[in-house]
Amino acid sequence: MLHPQLAWYVAGPLMGLCVVACRALFNGRLGITGGYSELVGRLRERRIGFDWRGWFLIGVLLGGGLFALASGGPDFHGYGWLTASLHGSERLLIAPILLLSGVLIGFGAKLAGGCTSGNGLSATAMRSPAGIAATATFFATAIAISFITRWLV
Amino acid sequence: MRPRLGGLGLGLVFGVVLAWSGMTSPQVVREALLFERSYLFLFFASAVLVASVGLALLRRLRARALLVDAPIGWRPERPARRHIIGSLLFGIGWGICDSCPGPIATQVGQGIAWGLFTLAGVLLGVYAFLRREQPETEPATDRLPARVPGLSYGSAVGAQP
Repeated sequence: MLHPQLAWYVAGPLMGLCVVACRALFNGRLGITGGYSELVGRLRERRIGFDWRGWFLIGVLLGGGLFALASGGPDFHGYGWLTASLHGSERLLIAPILLLSGVLIGFGAKLAGGCTSGNGLSATAMRSPAGIAATATFFATAIAISFITRWLV
Repeated sequence: MRPRLGGLGLGLVFGVVLAWSGMTSPQVVREALLFERSYLFLFFASAVLVASVGLALLRRLRARALLVDAPIGWRPERPARRHIIGSLLFGIGWGICDSCPGPIATQVGQGIAWGLFTLAGVLLGVYAFLRREQPETEPATDRLPARVPGLSYGSAVGAQP
């Protein structure tokens, strides 16, 4: 890493304040999946022009770019456990694995009405029982999958 | 115009913090999910705590939203089967690629090519859902239904459709 990781007690509260700002500005629940949904929905209708959720997603993407520019490059190389444990021609598997994971993430988040930000951060902070149930489910599932994949490779 | 600028600005802050906190890195996320490092959990819990206090204060103000025409308020949603099934699918995807929708966007923004595959997958998944059914599961602005006398689920907010 080319930069020190922002302390959790700075980064976490900043994310929390983004959730509050989103409520104050739009009476909206901050969530990234809403942005993807807005993007795909408008493109399907062949209309350009997004509401705040689409622009929020564009902002997040540009924020990543801004960070890379400021810190002199991306903050990691390779791709986690996938590039660490797959070698040679096995690496051809990584692209379809990532694509399939993305499909599960996109479809699952839409079905659940939110992802790590919408359900995890925002709905949990709204003390929504649905959001808390969703968050407990995806954390438990992702933890189980991580241990299973570690055992497999 | 102003809501869109507001969305863009909020996204920029969110994206920079997401990348700076290392959440963009699959390695950092995996170490957390394998309980090797506590950073993600402390980060997440402190975000929820601050958001929770801030939202409660905001609700007390009974103000209107600044950039759209709506009173500030929301109703807690009861868990349904879709929240569990959807989050199971989501959790499988997240556990394999160690990136969720926000970090996928910041990866692409940082020029990390691997993120393009995950991004394409998310767009396909969202598209498949929208093709199947149309419900808006993540509205831009929460609209409260007209207040039902005697119903106290959620706290009292000046409700207008």
